[in-house]
Amino acid sequence: MSKSNEAFWWSLFSAGGVLAALCMPVFVLITGFLIPKLVGGKEDPALVFYDMFSSMASKWPVRITLFAVIFFSLFHCAHRIRHTLMDLGLRHSTGLLAAICYLSALTGSVFAVLALIRL
Amino acid sequence: MSDNTKITLEVFRYHPEGTGQTASKPSYDRYDVPFHDDWVVLDALNWIKDNSDGSLTYRWSCRMGVCGSCGMMVNGEPKLTCAAFLKDYYPKVIKIEPLVNFQVERDLTVDMEQFMEKLESVQPYVIRDDVNQTDDGEYKQSPAQLARYKQYSMCINCMLCYSACPVMGSEPEFVGPAALALGHRYNLDNRDQGTSQRMDRMMEHEAVWGCTFVGECSTVCPKNVDPAGAIQQAKAASAQKYFKKFFVPKGAGK
Ligand code: SF4
Ligand code: FES
Repeated sequence: MSKSNEAFWWSLFSAGGVLAALCMPVFVLITGFLIPKLVGGKEDPALVFYDMFSSMASKWPVRITLFAVIFFSLFHCAHRIRHTLMDLGLRHSTGLLAAICYLSALTGSVFAVLALIRL
Repeated sequence: MSDNTKITLEVFRYHPEGTGQTASKPSYDRYDVPFHDDWVVLDALNWIKDNSDGSLTYRWSCRMGVCGSCGMMVNGEPKLTCAAFLKDYYPKVIKIEPLVNFQVERDLTVDMEQFMEKLESVQPYVIRDDVNQTDDGEYKQSPAQLARYKQYSMCINCMLCYSACPVMGSEPEFVGPAALALGHRYNLDNRDQGTSQRMDRMMEHEAVWGCTFVGECSTVCPKNVDPAGAIQQAKAASAQKYFKKFFVPKGAGK
């Protein structure tokens, strides 16, 4: 019988799940379909998108939103992968497994911050 | 179907306590049983016990999906044998085994002791600080208040979800789907005042946090209890309680 800090990781996981489910399809729709469609055959969609995106993402609210989506989604993945590996039998070195998973998510988040700041 | 159509059952046998011929290593016996459209696996087992091998041991009672005692593995899936029709398997052989993730007592019966202990540990009953006098009348509950937990109260303790759950197999200490769903059921009951003491147990590492959201419990549940859903709700409640303790000083309230 032991108390658990799992609630903390689970909260990140569940926030990430909600954000990923709500935002990712919208992002894919906008960047994958709508922009190429609007731009038509005239110009390279990647170039138009880059201009639009960089002017948009230089605004702080947009940066913070993007960071939140990336951060929580990464922790969502880390938590999911950790538990899937546990289900597959990795139950002995759970501390190490947790450390690897969450540190990966943290590293990804740091890179996200760096990239967002430079935009 | 002609009257002498047969179906074959391959049944797990194990009599650990016997001596000589009756003491056995786990093995399988085959029986040819009359096939009828309206027979369930339990009817076939009863036929074997009456006509071919009286020593076959298994539990059953109601024959109508209410008592929860007839759960077994049917072709590797946890099922109520009183609700598993032979015609869904005919003409193939049907393999009958005791519920997995439990110790076998004899043939198809399993040891329920640990399950009972886990169930008890979540205090699945209404807890009151004050108990009203009978004259004060009953505790009122509106249809909306009933609807909050009704689904989770349909559990018949058949333990199929414990056999379906992969966490149960690798972590025997895990409190498990049915017990957690029942704990949650009482937390949602407006007549209950025991959430706080129940949550002490439910927030443990081996309780709600043991669940890795596989969801097989809800797939196999014959009563559509959706224990997986109950556990997710209980996790959200546990997380709230967990964060609250950083903001609300100890003893300042429940
Ligand atoms: S939750 Fe469903 S499968 Fe589990 S014991 Fe209750 S009725 Fe059976
Ligand atoms: S015999 Fe009662 S549930 Fe099957």
